[in-house]
Amino acid sequence: MSETDSPILDIQHVSKQFGGLAANSDVSFSMTEGMILGLIGPNGAGKTTLFNCITGYYPPTKGDVIFKGKRLNGMTPDQVCKLGMVRTWQKVRPLAKLSVIDNVVVGALVRTGSVPEAREIAREQLHVVKLAHKADFLAGGLPIGERKKLEVARVLATKPDLLLLDEVMGGLNPAESEDIIQLILEIKQRGLTQMVIEHDMKAIMRISDRIVVLNSGEKLAEGAPLEIVSNPEVVTAYLGEAHT
Amino acid sequence: MPPRTRTRTRARGLSAFSIVAFIAAVVLLALFPKFVENPYAVHLMVTFFLAVIMGEAWNLIGGYGGQYSVGHAAYFGIGAYTVLVLLQTNGVAPWWGLLPALALALGVAAIVGSITFRLRGPYFVLASIAVAEIFRLVALNWKSATNGAEGILLSGVPPIVIGGTEIVNFSSKVPFYYMGLALAVLTVLVTVWFQGSKLGYYLQAIREDQDAANSLGIPLTFYKNIALMISAFFTAWAGALYGLYVGFIDPQTAVGLDISVQIVLTAIIGGIGTVFGPVVGAAILVALSEALRSNAITDLLVAGGLVSETSSIGIFLKDHLSHAHMLIYGFLVAIVILFMPDGVLGAVNNAARRRRARAAAGGAR
Repeated sequence: MSETDSPILDIQHVSKQFGGLAANSDVSFSMTEGMILGLIGPNGAGKTTLFNCITGYYPPTKGDVIFKGKRLNGMTPDQVCKLGMVRTWQKVRPLAKLSVIDNVVVGALVRTGSVPEAREIAREQLHVVKLAHKADFLAGGLPIGERKKLEVARVLATKPDLLLLDEVMGGLNPAESEDIIQLILEIKQRGLTQMVIEHDMKAIMRISDRIVVLNSGEKLAEGAPLEIVSNPEVVTAYLGEAHT
Repeated sequence: MPPRTRTRTRARGLSAFSIVAFIAAVVLLALFPKFVENPYAVHLMVTFFLAVIMGEAWNLIGGYGGQYSVGHAAYFGIGAYTVLVLLQTNGVAPWWGLLPALALALGVAAIVGSITFRLRGPYFVLASIAVAEIFRLVALNWKSATNGAEGILLSGVPPIVIGGTEIVNFSSKVPFYYMGLALAVLTVLVTVWFQGSKLGYYLQAIREDQDAANSLGIPLTFYKNIALMISAFFTAWAGALYGLYVGFIDPQTAVGLDISVQIVLTAIIGGIGTVFGPVVGAAILVALSEALRSNAITDLLVAGGLVSETSSIGIFLKDHLSHAHMLIYGFLVAIVILFMPDGVLGAVNNAARRRRARAAAGGAR
């Protein structure tokens, strides 16, 4: 097996228990380099919990997360970020009192100690997300569509190998969503691997190479987009028994 | 390559105006004792410099980092006690005593930070108060070293002598004036550096959103600790300077909660997270506190004919206003928080930004 064929991310039997509640139980799947994996499931299916387990916000109760051949168990989010995996937040978290470019500079500083160099990286990333014209605005004053783009620019500036995008289209109008879809595809062109949580099924079908469906914390199905839409279990989970 | 646009922001350093104004102010202040010999005026300026040093130092962790320590009296006390105990009891010259004092402040900050920075928001504030109180109680009860509640009275600061010639003697206030000025300028310069450094960016990111900062590769406790250590270092230095200048310290005046509160107020009233905010705050607080203490406000009211000196109100003000300076501080803070949530300097900056934005919007149309 060549280097590129080995999975960049391997999730093995991950379970996360909050007291008596199993937010994730025995979830396993893997990602190869350059792919976009769509992570879908009804509300409360455990998608964001899985993100949190993968990126070090809390350790999985059971199971292993292996990123680029390293076990991440017990690592903190900043260590995971330095290794090259970074996530965005479902509820955007702009550094409100910093300017747009300074938000991105903070991301870039993980790879360099030089602020001027970080500004250079930040400026490039703002061009990628088409936010360069807002560089000097306060991040807290941006409308939601631009905040989502800022989140993406900020994580891109950390020079990741794997991006985890948590509902970057949530709350956006169709035109803004389309912008983000184009952005995700462009990021793919650059060779980055992405895992995307999304509720918009049309969007997820278009961008994903592979889809994992979670339901009640368990992996319900995994496959190519067309397999997933025709999977009766998935249809049941989303639409209820009557539709099968 | 994406096209490069020229951004309109000034670099994150200071504007040309600020730099010129700062240099001019420093030159004027350096000349001040040459023209003003009134010891009271010099004393006020030393008090002002001390407030600037502590405000700027606190601003690093509190203003930029958003970690509202209300326990900086601990570091102030470490500086004051270490230097004065070494000098008075062991005869160690203060410029040598300063080294262990600053080292101790760094060490204590590293330990305190490692423990208390796990806490967030109000819990961190409470922990910082508790830590300072521990140090106050140590100063109060460790009588063999600190002389307890009676405090330490210096019998004098030895002159600096090099090769048999006296370079500086501390019989007047002027040497303290220059030490205060130099240290105040140094803390301002450190803040300018800090604001444009990776450390400064990281602390601001931590202030705005700790989880987001953490996800962007920032180890939170490590960077908070570094900022706290720098902050403690200068606070202890100010404490040492204060102890030598006043010549007397006791647990209340060197490690009391009042000191912690005054430090925080200096930064909050002036404008936290800005280079010159603590300078503005120090000027306001020192002027106000002296005006209240010296009955200048009552005298002014009397001189202005608003209040008769012999009326019951006049007598009441003369007797009581000078005791009420903490009360008036309280009012002032309430007013600043209500009407100028970013401090006095913050309010000025915001107004300027709005004006620029309006001008830019007008120009675009």
